[in-house]
Amino acid sequence: MIELLKLCGFEDNELETELPRVEKVFRRLGITDEDIERGKQRLAKYYDIELKGLRKVFRLIMLELVDGLLAKEGGKKKVIYGFMAPGIAILGSALVSKSKEVLSIHQSWAFQVVVGCIFDKIVPVMEAAEKKWLKAGVVSHCANIKTLVGPIALGLFPKPDLLVTSGFTCEASPKTLDLLHEFYDIPVWHLETNLDRQSWEYPEPPMRIADLTAKSMRKLVRRIQEVVGFEITDDMVREVMAAKGKLEDALRRVRDLVENSDPMPLSPSHENIWYCLDELTLTIDGIAEATGAIDTLYEELKERVARGEGVVEKGAPRVLAILPGGQTDPRMDYLACKAGIAIVAVDFNLGAPFKEASEDPYVMFGLGSQQFTLGLTLLGRIPLIIEACKNLKIEGVLDRYHAGCRTTVADALIIEDAVKKELGIPVLVLEWESFDPRVYNHEQFKNKFEVFKTMMLGRRV
Amino acid sequence: MEEESLTDHLKDRPLHLAEAKKSGRKIVGFFPGNFVPEEMIYASGAVPLCLIQSGFRAADAGLAVMPHIICPFARAQVGERLLKENPCYNMMDMLVAPITCQHMKKVAEIWEYRGDLEIFKLGIPQQYEDDFEVEYFINGLKALRGRLEAFTGNKITDEKLGKAIELYNRMRELLRKISLMRRISPSPLSALEFIKLNHASFYADPVFMVEVLESVYQELRDKKPAAESIAPRILLTGPNIGNGDYTVLEIVQATGGEIVVEEICGGIRNYWQSIENQGDLLQSMTRGYLLDRVPCAFLRNASKKRFDYILQLVKEFNVSGIIWYELLCCETYDAESYYFTEKMGELDIPVLVLESDYSTAATGQLKTRIQAFIEILEGVTE
Repeated sequence: MIELLKLCGFEDNELETELPRVEKVFRRLGITDEDIERGKQRLAKYYDIELKGLRKVFRLIMLELVDGLLAKEGGKKKVIYGFMAPGIAILGSALVSKSKEVLSIHQSWAFQVVVGCIFDKIVPVMEAAEKKWLKAGVVSHCANIKTLVGPIALGLFPKPDLLVTSGFTCEASPKTLDLLHEFYDIPVWHLETNLDRQSWEYPEPPMRIADLTAKSMRKLVRRIQEVVGFEITDDMVREVMAAKGKLEDALRRVRDLVENSDPMPLSPSHENIWYCLDELTLTIDGIAEATGAIDTLYEELKERVARGEGVVEKGAPRVLAILPGGQTDPRMDYLACKAGIAIVAVDFNLGAPFKEASEDPYVMFGLGSQQFTLGLTLLGRIPLIIEACKNLKIEGVLDRYHAGCRTTVADALIIEDAVKKELGIPVLVLEWESFDPRVYNHEQFKNKFEVFKTMMLGRRV
Repeated sequence: MEEESLTDHLKDRPLHLAEAKKSGRKIVGFFPGNFVPEEMIYASGAVPLCLIQSGFRAADAGLAVMPHIICPFARAQVGERLLKENPCYNMMDMLVAPITCQHMKKVAEIWEYRGDLEIFKLGIPQQYEDDFEVEYFINGLKALRGRLEAFTGNKITDEKLGKAIELYNRMRELLRKISLMRRISPSPLSALEFIKLNHASFYADPVFMVEVLESVYQELRDKKPAAESIAPRILLTGPNIGNGDYTVLEIVQATGGEIVVEEICGGIRNYWQSIENQGDLLQSMTRGYLLDRVPCAFLRNASKKRFDYILQLVKEFNVSGIIWYELLCCETYDAESYYFTEKMGELDIPVLVLESDYSTAATGQLKTRIQAFIEILEGVTE
């Protein structure tokens, strides 16, 4: 156990306090000594765990999981969860920065990384959700949502005082919250937004949608204030946004380095770790610590680049992937690397700039949320992908779609069509589930990657 | 008699549409779900057409641009445009797409991306407890009004809108009256007949349709009541019944059951509410199309509201069992079916959940399941 914690960046001087807490959480999760051994092996195999910066990130992720599961024992009086609700991570950070008595977590990211990516123990959680309303089979319910319902059904997560979601990308998450309210009496909250952007409302995000989002966020803030008993000021929110801005800048530097280095210095299996980090509900100090971890990582990667080292051969075909790698399973991205494919960029990190500015942090959020890849909808998403492919000299697109998500599923074939027409480069369309390791098919994926690579190399000739 | 004239009218409808188009009238399609105020399209001088065609062939054709995980109804809409065989889909000049579920939203986005159709997206707030959320819908209606005016070149005055509301209110009222006649046993018309009438109301000329409905209502009223039926009385609920999606209705009828009332989100005209034809008409339409109705499953707090409403219908129509009919991959209705069966189970009301992707391959299985369900209901009734 100590070895595992050290691999995850825990320092000797904190082991005394953290070890009993981690042990308690692992017991609750049913993680055995055998699992811990497997966890260490998986960390060593799928991640560049020798990088100090990465270890520090894993530490923050592990701590959020432990704090979350032990919230009530840890003296937290109020627990607020967010699920598929961009913005709640910002409010959550403002809350936990103000009061030690509040725990806020956005999404079960930390749970997914620790239980899924490290220990490969997410399947029983999925099955617990499937015994409820998220049945397995062709209907293809989103496995991301299963990682929320499963732990609640198993009694792993403490009952929140408020559970917040939104319709930013879909209606499956709000539907789930309705049912969680009906079956588990969990107080839930829906953050309203809309995806009715008209074709003439590009490239600038329409203020009418931003206004709706902002009004809904202020309504949410009033509700959260009732729960926690203190005020959330705009300044608190701005402070978090500024701190998170620095973290995102640091992540951008790492991504720029990966995108522009040959050979690629870091495996794409880390992408989901960065998403998780960005969505952790950290205090202002915690965000600074996370930024420091990424800065350390950046320096380590720069040295690696200077030495000419990489995780694929120099000159490996450059690929843009649609959607980040598996959130509970790093094997696909690892396999791509082993197959000699350099996934240098992910469309999820793309965004369109906008000119409009507002003093109101919620309006700014409402504007920004329309400019990320899914918020843009097809009409805005495709030019973004095409442009990124051109800028990054991409030789092929890994058009994987998360089968449980109707938004990404329905875009897949149009993206394929557009990329082929505009750029003429190979596109590998892959049906997949970003959150469910059971869909991983080693032989099939390996064969497809080999053919994909051959096609890309063939075009060079 | 009326049946024949309606059949003839529907057969000739493509010709009428072509003539209308030739004379400069626009054909404005819209997706079902009962969120788009048809009377506004009508008041603009355009011909409104609700796109409700279903079927395996079109859904299969849709696979060229949408993977199989998208619901077959949504895929059928894309497929109809690709097949280019359906005059309604071919002649359309503009589409009004309410932003309901991801499936239908994506159909609109794909058509928008292909760029051969004017598209207006009507934002539907997923919850509407607050003024600002309701206001968002009203603003959407205002924008639609403006867009239709610009597109057709006709001003939509309150007078024109009022007249259109009056026409469509009459249509809804007649459908309501006909539907309510099914409270008595045996029903004077079958569910299949009623749904076909309802579907026709989206396609036929509305003035003609009102005349047909007037006659049908009169005819049914004058019909001598038959001996009381012993067939189990069934309520049908679910996300969508498209035009041609009649397999379940036919099997129920053939196996001795009687569907006496439906609660369906899309494909069927909602006839329970009328639009108040005075004061601010956009406010009236907001009440009729958004606030005073049972929410579809993609909306917030829908499960409990639908459950309560269906319980009310179960009592009113003396129903002994419920068929929950959903299309494959409709994740919100599928999730809600769990809640629904659990809660109905607590009240000992039998529920049968059925799924379809329009393929005939599953017909045998559907038949067996429906037959078994009806036998159970017959046992309960005895």
